[in-house]
Amino acid sequence: MTSARTPGDLRAALAQTIVGQSGVIEALLLALLSNGHVLLEGPPGLAKTLACRSLAAALEGEFKRIQFTPDLLPSDIVGTRVFDQRESAFATVLGPIFANVVLADEINRAPAKVQSALLEAMQERQATIGPQSHPLPDPFVVMATMNPLDSEGTYALPIAQMDRFLMKVNVGYPPREDELRILDRFAVADTQPVRSVATLDDVRRWREQSHAVHIDEKLKRYIVELVATTRDAQSVTVTAPSGATLRVGDLIEYGASPRATLALAFLSRARALLDGRDFALPDDVRAVAPHALRHRIGFSYRLAAEGLKADAAIDAMIAAVPAP
Amino acid sequence: MARRAAAAIAAFALAAVAGIASAQTLARLTVESFVLAADTNAPQVDVPFHLILTLRVRERVTSVENLNLPVLAELELLGDERETTSGSRGTEYRETIAVVAHRAGAIAIGPATLEAVDARDGKAKEWSTNGLTLHVAGAAPQTLKDGASAIEAGAIVFARTLLVGFGIVAVVVAAVLLLGRRPRPAPIVVPPPVTVEAPVRRRSPQEQAGDALVVLRAERSRPSAVAVRAAMWRMVGAGEGETLGDVLGRRDIREGTLRELLIALERSAFTYDDDLPAAIEDACGALERFIGSAG
Repeated sequence: MTSARTPGDLRAALAQTIVGQSGVIEALLLALLSNGHVLLEGPPGLAKTLACRSLAAALEGEFKRIQFTPDLLPSDIVGTRVFDQRESAFATVLGPIFANVVLADEINRAPAKVQSALLEAMQERQATIGPQSHPLPDPFVVMATMNPLDSEGTYALPIAQMDRFLMKVNVGYPPREDELRILDRFAVADTQPVRSVATLDDVRRWREQSHAVHIDEKLKRYIVELVATTRDAQSVTVTAPSGATLRVGDLIEYGASPRATLALAFLSRARALLDGRDFALPDDVRAVAPHALRHRIGFSYRLAAEGLKADAAIDAMIAAVPAP
Repeated sequence: MARRAAAAIAAFALAAVAGIASAQTLARLTVESFVLAADTNAPQVDVPFHLILTLRVRERVTSVENLNLPVLAELELLGDERETTSGSRGTEYRETIAVVAHRAGAIAIGPATLEAVDARDGKAKEWSTNGLTLHVAGAAPQTLKDGASAIEAGAIVFARTLLVGFGIVAVVVAAVLLLGRRPRPAPIVVPPPVTVEAPVRRRSPQEQAGDALVVLRAERSRPSAVAVRAAMWRMVGAGEGETLGDVLGRRDIREGTLRELLIALERSAFTYDDDLPAAIEDACGALERFIGSAG
């Protein structure tokens, strides 16, 4: 007998616990269904840890949090081998990366060597400790955070490594009415634990369903056109705060890679499934496009010099490509 | 059937494309007449004939934008010729559409529409032509009957040609003698145009949905669904590049049969092939409910 549980049930359960961060919940679920990882950028205190912990609890999965610091070592993440005196042999101790949902907090605070260890594990879905490789659990989702407010003493992630994240989500402050609900709910007691609404087997089944979601030819062309526009955006304009009209192509050093094209397709399928459909729509593509593109485009210094945000340029490019 | 439906879709798509333009800019025109006519009131099955759209405006313009052709669901579109003539008295735009009917009976052709800013009062308006009802006669008599020998048939054709030839020569000689000048080629016989008071009432969304339903029922295919979706989007004023989310976000479309219709059409345009027949059936049902919601 097949389970009737759907990704929508999981979203509803998470929404009951996490207030005002529907975008984060959706990003987590999209990554889960697409078998990818999420990079979150936003100030502290926006329920990122709670979202991760709740997701793991709702799936009866294991949750681990790694606080990235400048003195962190790769073995602190993937694990190490210790000598067992009683057995007179080396034993492997698995690191915190061996969990279903991993929160890599402030990933840009650790040096490149540690970042590489994490990103390699994310890509290969296995970690090598000593002579042996160990497969990571399935499902395996990494949710890495970066704090945009405090950049002193940080190590910027190279673009090639950023590309490993399926999506990057900008987390903003909740609206006032949601903040009132947060106050009512958490001021008198600690967070309510999320009840389990699905299993890891459900997640694997949903992933298969997500891969089977239909993407029409018109949508495929739309996706390719969106990504191509990031590489040649001379005809797209954006208005700077000064009032000047700028060509977006002049603000970009390099556009998104074909991995962005794949990411757009994966995420669109996942969003359709989350919405209960077995076919994707232009709305799906457009909704996920900023998340799939914003960390894959290299903007020049002119963007900041003109007082523009990367998202303004990305929005202009998305708006310039007519949806089918 | 397939050719006829394809023609219907082509005309529908043409109308949809024209509609997209209408959302952008409207020309300022003084419409003097806007007429749809046919070069025959009784066309025959499988014999091409012409629909002639004539627009007269007081301004001198080189082209006419935002002109939407009628849905030709029951006719096959063979070709389209446009001619714009400007002079001191304004501009005459003439579009000749070659079509052919494949079945006998009455065919109703809806009006063509024009969206423009009325130069008389500066307001954006929609003008409509008259509609047409044509009575298509049965198949034309066959020249060669089954079983007749080739020689017999050839003799008949030769005799007829000879007879027609004598007739033409006699008419030409008579005309030259009577008028004392060289004969000119006979012009296309067009019924006298009926001048329509401008502006005519705007076609209701339900009427437009009725056209769409005819098209979707005639050809239950993806291109047809996409064309109908484009037309319905134009009907609700959606611009190029907008998504369903944008359109449904509007206050007047948040609920009701129109919302249901747009969602159903979106499904028929993007769903997988196995689901397409069910999606189109669903869209036809949604169109019927929308049409029925007028009362």
